[in-house]
Amino acid sequence: MESAVANEDAARNAHNSAQQTGASTPRVSIAVDDTRKVRTLNVKAAVDNLSFYYGQHRALKNLTIPIAERQVTALIGPSGCGKSTFLRCFNRMHDLQPDTRYEGSITLHPDDLNLVGPGVDPIEVRMRIGMVFQKPNPFPKSIFENVAYGLRLRGTRNRATLAEEVEKALRGSALWDEVKDRLQDSALALSGGQMQRLCIARALATTPEILLFDEPTSALDPIATAKIEELISTLRDQVTVLIVTHNMQQAARVSDYTAFMYLGELIEFDEAAKIFTNPAKKATEDYITGRYG
Amino acid sequence: MQDASLADPVEGHTSKAFDGALTQLRLHAVAMGGLVIDQVSTAVRALLDADANLAQTVLAREPQVNDMERTVDREAFELIALHQPVAGDLRMATAVSRITVELERAGDESKKIARFAGRMAGGEPQGPVRAVARYLQHMAELTTGMLRDAVRALDESNSELAERVRARDSELDAEFAAALRQLLTLAMQDQRYLGVTIDTVFALKGLERIGDHAKNIAEQVVFIASGRDMRHKKN
Repeated sequence: MESAVANEDAARNAHNSAQQTGASTPRVSIAVDDTRKVRTLNVKAAVDNLSFYYGQHRALKNLTIPIAERQVTALIGPSGCGKSTFLRCFNRMHDLQPDTRYEGSITLHPDDLNLVGPGVDPIEVRMRIGMVFQKPNPFPKSIFENVAYGLRLRGTRNRATLAEEVEKALRGSALWDEVKDRLQDSALALSGGQMQRLCIARALATTPEILLFDEPTSALDPIATAKIEELISTLRDQVTVLIVTHNMQQAARVSDYTAFMYLGELIEFDEAAKIFTNPAKKATEDYITGRYG
Repeated sequence: MQDASLADPVEGHTSKAFDGALTQLRLHAVAMGGLVIDQVSTAVRALLDADANLAQTVLAREPQVNDMERTVDREAFELIALHQPVAGDLRMATAVSRITVELERAGDESKKIARFAGRMAGGEPQGPVRAVARYLQHMAELTTGMLRDAVRALDESNSELAERVRARDSELDAEFAAALRQLLTLAMQDQRYLGVTIDTVFALKGLERIGDHAKNIAEQVVFIASGRDMRHKKN
């Protein structure tokens, strides 16, 4: 198993150029294919040498990845490779567990906030980074209150503003037309796919800068899955998306960039079209073609 | 994780059905290649020997080539629909589909040569063919050699062998140009055989085209093995 990062240099350049130029959104160039076309991406978050420990166990090993602004980046890899652990670093979910530790940095642009920095308040991080989980988890409240919850928490009291923001978030998650006449009904009465889109609306309402998806469709049927995938594709107009998925075809369908992880290491990062047609690393090829195991 | 570099490139999937479908696809393409190679060499032999029976053999087998094209192409299509291949497997499926087109066209060229051979056997003057027999023979050896290596490269996923096939195309082009000069001289000296001379030019051109098809197949093999698109690139 090779452990080098395909575009490690590119990823480092992103971070370095940000520091050297002070640009609000650093740019990084990656070679796209053998015709030497180069694509430049704007970096929303630069992951630099990130390691993560559960006690003595090092679950993530020196990850360096540029997370492209307003693009969809998918994390793929076998169970236990660390992709969910990586995702949870972005909103400091690990802080809820004892004896965990971060090394390295995730620099969020434009203000260069290190999301995993020791002095950084996890609550502040979670205000800026939203998350949608595998199993839809709406609050046992009305549809309206589910979406308004985060806004109220942030101090929005004005009824008209709340209604406006709730509608905007529900429209953004492609759920508005289905629930506009029953906003006061319980969220628990919705179908699984609708609940998941409600959870996306709840996350969108607070206008996060990055939206994290952890296996968002694994509990849904193909139609509901297609709706969520279509939603994720449209979300890239307003938010940076990072998605963990076991479904390789889903990663191919929804992502602009794909990272393949194995045993806590980044094996390859590239454009999704490159990863799924001609990956540079043999380990990536073996995994995505179903030769792993 | 296994070291697949030691394994057959179409095997090693967790799904044995997928392994089987890919292996069958490649084997059928290779079998089609074998038939087309035989069509080419038989057609040229029929022409050089003015042998009506050999010419008839080629014409009778032509529908088999067409059937194989349809079969292999359908298998590639179904493999994509049913197994959703990616990376090297996807390149194999799409490239084999293109390779069947190249093979079928090479088969068509041999059919045209066989028809001409049939007319020769029926009593058309043999002067022009005799004049360039050496070139016909040599070009037939070159083209069948290129086709054979291109098909073997597909069978073995051998991109080095495929690259060598590409390089040999220029030799064939040079031979074609030399044969044309010879025929031109003949046509200027004696205009009675103009019709047969033109047919002979078509036969030579057919062989030159078969070389192009072999080169195209070799390019697809390079694509399967490495993902590099060699089409329309200089050597």
